[in-house]
Amino acid sequence: MSNSFKSARPDPLLRIDAVYKSYAKGAPVLRGIDLEMAAGERVVVIGPSGGGKSTLLRVVMGLEQIDDGAITFAGASYVTVTGRRTRIDARVRRSIGMVFQNYTLFLHLNVVGNLILAPCKVNGESRKTATARALTLLDRFGLAEKADAYPSQLSGGQKQRVAIVRALMLDPALMLFDEVTSALDPELVAEVEQVILQLAGQNLPMIIVTHDMWFARRIASRVLFCAEGRIIEDGPPEQVLGSPRTERARDFVHRVFHIGG
Amino acid sequence: MNYVYDFASVFRNADTLIDGLSLSLEIAAAANLIAVFGGFVIALLLLSPSRLIRLPATLFVEFFRCTPFLVQIFWFFYCVPMLLDVYLSSRALGILALSLILSTFNAEAFRGAVQAVPRDQIDAGIALGLSPFQRVAHIIFPTALRLVIPVLLTNGILAFQTSSLLSLVAVEELMFSGKMLSAKIYRPIETFTVVALIYLVVSLPVSQWVGWLERRRVRAER
Repeated sequence: MSNSFKSARPDPLLRIDAVYKSYAKGAPVLRGIDLEMAAGERVVVIGPSGGGKSTLLRVVMGLEQIDDGAITFAGASYVTVTGRRTRIDARVRRSIGMVFQNYTLFLHLNVVGNLILAPCKVNGESRKTATARALTLLDRFGLAEKADAYPSQLSGGQKQRVAIVRALMLDPALMLFDEVTSALDPELVAEVEQVILQLAGQNLPMIIVTHDMWFARRIASRVLFCAEGRIIEDGPPEQVLGSPRTERARDFVHRVFHIGG
Repeated sequence: MNYVYDFASVFRNADTLIDGLSLSLEIAAAANLIAVFGGFVIALLLLSPSRLIRLPATLFVEFFRCTPFLVQIFWFFYCVPMLLDVYLSSRALGILALSLILSTFNAEAFRGAVQAVPRDQIDAGIALGLSPFQRVAHIIFPTALRLVIPVLLTNGILAFQTSSLLSLVAVEELMFSGKMLSAKIYRPIETFTVVALIYLVVSLPVSQWVGWLERRRVRAER
C-alpha cells in the first residue's frame, strides 16, 4: 500500500502488527502484539518473567522467527511471514541496535576492535576513520582510557557501556536494551543507566526491558506492561507505574516497587 | 627383596632410547599437524546442516571412538596394504594410523568448541549486521579457537602416548626401543622406569601449559 493513502499521519518509526510467536516446544510466547512507536518515544517494557518482554525485543531485533504478523520500520517492510517462513530484511535490521543482558563483547578483540568490527566489515568503513570515531565516542562516554583494554580487563559496568557504544557506532535509529543492568553488581548499575539517560537526552528512540522501576520512571516516555504474551497496559509512566488500571499490573508494580525500594 | 638396581646399564645404552624417542616425537608431531587440519575438516562435516553430509562423518568419528586404539592400529597395518595394494614404511603407516585416530578426537573437540560459543555472542553479531560468513570468521571461529586449543593440546599428548602402541606392530619408536633394550640387557625394571619417565618428562610441561591456558580463559570469561 502506498503511503499517500494514509498521509494524515506520518509513518511511525516502528509498527508491529499482530505478531504471534511460539518456540518449538511449549506455549506461545507472544500472542498478538500490536504496537506503534513514534520516533521521539522511549518505551519501557515491564512485566513478569516469561511474559514475553525479551522475546518481543528479540523479534524487533530480527533475531527470531515469528509465527504470524508483520513489522515495518520507518515505513519499510521489515519482518514478514509467508507460510511458515519468516523474512527479515537485513538492511532494515541494520538501523536497529541492541544491548543484551549478558556480556556480549568479543573476548578476542580489545575495546576498539569490538567497536570497529561491524563498521569496517559491514559498512566498509576504513579502519582509520572507524577508529577515530570509536575514540571520540569512547571519550564522550568516559571510556577513553579503556580503548586498548580487553573485555577481561573491564568491570561489568564498563563492559555494558562499551557494548552500548559498540551499537552506537552503527548510528542506529532505534536502540533496544534487554535487561542490560540485571547481571551487574548493584554499585555498577548507575553508570550504565547514566549512559542510557545520556542517549535519551539526545532523543534517541529506545525500547528498554528492565526490572528497575525507578529507572523506568525516570527514562520512559511510555510504559508497556507485558504478561502472558500480550501488552496488557500501555500508557505514560505516571499512569502505568502510578495507577495501573488492571489488577494484574497493579499487583506487579506494587510488588516490584516494594522489593526494589 | 635383594634386587640390585642397575640404571647405569640403561644409561650406557641411552642412544637406543633417544633414537626411539626421536621417532616417537616425529610420529606424534606429524600426526598432530595432520590431525589439526583433518579434525577441522571433519568438524565442518559434523556441523553441516545436511544430514547426508553429517551421517558419514558421524559414523567415521564413532567408529574410531568406539573401538580400541590397538585394534585400529592392527587393522590399519594389516588391512590397508592388502586392501589398497600400497606398501608404506611402518613409520608412514604409523603416522597415518595415529593421524586418523587423532583427527576424530580433534573433530569432536572442534565441534564441541563451536557449539560452546555462547548464543548471545552470535546474536550480538547478528544485531551488528554481520553476515553469516562474517559471523563465522570474526566471532565463531576466534571464540571457538580459544576454547579448542587446550583440548587439542591434551589430545596431542594423548597421541604421543598412544604412539607407544605402535611398538606392537614393530615401529621402532620409544616403547619398542625400550623392549629391545630390556631384552638386550635383562633390565626390564630399570628400562621401563626410564621409558616411563621419558614419556612423563615430555608430556608434563604440555599438560601444565594446558592447565595454565584453562585458568587464564576462565579468568577472561568472568
